[in-house]
Amino acid sequence: MMRNASVGIIANPASSRDIRRIVARGPATTTNDKINSLARLMEGLAATGVKRVVSMSDAGGIAQGLAAIAQKPSASHWPDLDFVDQEITHGPTDTISAVRSMRSQNVGAIVVLGGDGTNRLLLGETGGTPVASISTGTNNAFPRHDEPTVVGFAAGYVATGAIDSSTCTYRAKSLGVMDGTQVMGALVDVAIVDGDRIASGAVWDARSLREIFLCFAEADAVGLSSVGGHLRPTSREEPQGLHIRLDDSSPVRVTVPIAPGLVRELGIASVSTLEPQAEIRIESEAGVISVDGERSMRFVSGTEISVSLDTNGPLVLDVQRAMAEAANTTTTTKGEDTHG
Amino acid sequence: MGELDRLAMYTQMVRIRQYESRIMQEYHADKSPAWDIGAGLIPGEMHLAAGQEPAAVGVCAHLKKGDAITAPHRPHHFALAHGVDMNKMTAEIYGRTGGLCKGKGGHMHLFDPENHFSCSGIIAQGLPVACGQALAFQRKGTDNVAIAVTGEGAANQGAFHESLNLAAVWDLPVIFVIEDNDWAISVPKDASTAGASNADRAAGYGMPGVRVEDNDVEAMYEAAGAAIDRARAGDGPSLIEIHTLRLFGHFEGDAQAYRPELATVNERDPIPKYAATLQELGELTDDQIASIQADADAEVDAAIEFAKASPEPAPEDALLHVFA
Repeated sequence: MMRNASVGIIANPASSRDIRRIVARGPATTTNDKINSLARLMEGLAATGVKRVVSMSDAGGIAQGLAAIAQKPSASHWPDLDFVDQEITHGPTDTISAVRSMRSQNVGAIVVLGGDGTNRLLLGETGGTPVASISTGTNNAFPRHDEPTVVGFAAGYVATGAIDSSTCTYRAKSLGVMDGTQVMGALVDVAIVDGDRIASGAVWDARSLREIFLCFAEADAVGLSSVGGHLRPTSREEPQGLHIRLDDSSPVRVTVPIAPGLVRELGIASVSTLEPQAEIRIESEAGVISVDGERSMRFVSGTEISVSLDTNGPLVLDVQRAMAEAANTTTTTKGEDTHG
Repeated sequence: MGELDRLAMYTQMVRIRQYESRIMQEYHADKSPAWDIGAGLIPGEMHLAAGQEPAAVGVCAHLKKGDAITAPHRPHHFALAHGVDMNKMTAEIYGRTGGLCKGKGGHMHLFDPENHFSCSGIIAQGLPVACGQALAFQRKGTDNVAIAVTGEGAANQGAFHESLNLAAVWDLPVIFVIEDNDWAISVPKDASTAGASNADRAAGYGMPGVRVEDNDVEAMYEAAGAAIDRARAGDGPSLIEIHTLRLFGHFEGDAQAYRPELATVNERDPIPKYAATLQELGELTDDQIASIQADADAEVDAAIEFAKASPEPAPEDALLHVFA
């Protein structure tokens, strides 16, 4: 079935420029790299028959750069490219308002170019629209490192109905932080950090970590989820998560890449399974809560903070599964059936 | 990285703001006609840094005796945060003999050898100078660092790229600080710069480049601390770009008709925002706000009095202490 399909693009101009470039030799994904990634994505989308792309607007140069390429003769075969008419605030609300607009325009898939922090903003916003993520941040676990051209194929096949999205999507888990009502969410990790600094946001000082809650923990991950990955790998699709308490005096030690190029040994006090919906009260009396690697909120003595795991995150498009499904259903071929 | 002293950083920002606000008043007080930049108590052009305090304060909180700064045409905030004497600096701005350069430099040419501070009205001119200072530190075996401050417009100058290249090749202890206030005089960045973030340009020279959003003094403090620690340890140069705010015009007298976001400028003032954060943390009271402001008022008023009391250079001294 070929629908008059459209795909949305969220691209965060601010990702990948934080302090981890200094303290952890974090990778430098430049604005021009991001624009080139989107151009490659457009090639994949064009190849699958997507007719229209709706992209987020920004003041960081990405939308401007993509629009400039789209005007060139070499991009004449691209889908029509429109930009969301939105007020630019230079903040997270830019992403949220863009996603809402895309959903109101019934896009068949949304592609996110950014890190864990960018993807986190989609929590509760994307409903049943499949989301494919391309990693650009400095320290990511949620988006896999897929080539944008191939992501374009996968998103295009789903958006056009060439393959059934139920064969290649899964519902991500999420973490909620509550002080009575939910105040923040996370797609990968919530960490409790000593001190009262939010400052540059990024969590890179391992000594400050007290507790980590994880949606999933892969052994080959980098960042806070690598702590769980080295202790008790937990997949993205099983319903449980992990809760880890840290104590520098503990004899149980684990050496992990807490950020790209930044390897630290941590003392582990306990590791326990995080069951869905179970509210776990944090032990620290005061400190800072980090969500998906970003210090985000201070809390003071007397505030009761709890964290719980849910299974209602974005509907994630698994690019590898999507491409395998496309090949198996001969979506990728023309002419004679080569499956005999 | 040292201990974060929030009250000291807030106090320094208020001190700088009071200085820039009073200089603005003084500059306009007796300009007649208003467009005659040679008229009045303060001669010449005037570029004030109100709104850009987080850049200077976040960086200078990590500096020590012997560290150097080269600043551009908008230099007062870095000069004050780096310890340049306010009296002598003000006398220089007024063109008086008690000034840092005996009144012959003016506000764009503040030279303070004691504190290794200099500035220039020539865009990006300070960057090669900072590389030279960093080379001297490296050859002498000290752990001092050089800070090269410039605006985002200057990052399109050849001297910017030559300096990054040289600093990377020689692994110099220099930190390039770009104050991105969105406007190169009246030219918006997207009309002049290929690439939205100058922090990205560092990658081309193999050095880390960080962008600090939101004009946040503590984020700047943390990024600068990491970069300065890295340079002191011998790990080479870094670049930090801060998205800051030009609260006033490019120069005093600039009507800023080209600036569509002018109406929102005051809402983005970083000082009330930081005061609110400190009050929320319980680290700043209303009484302290008042006393910090009163101290800043008194210090700035005294510096202006010092400047006004200092004699003007005599005509027969016109050729003294100058070259070229």
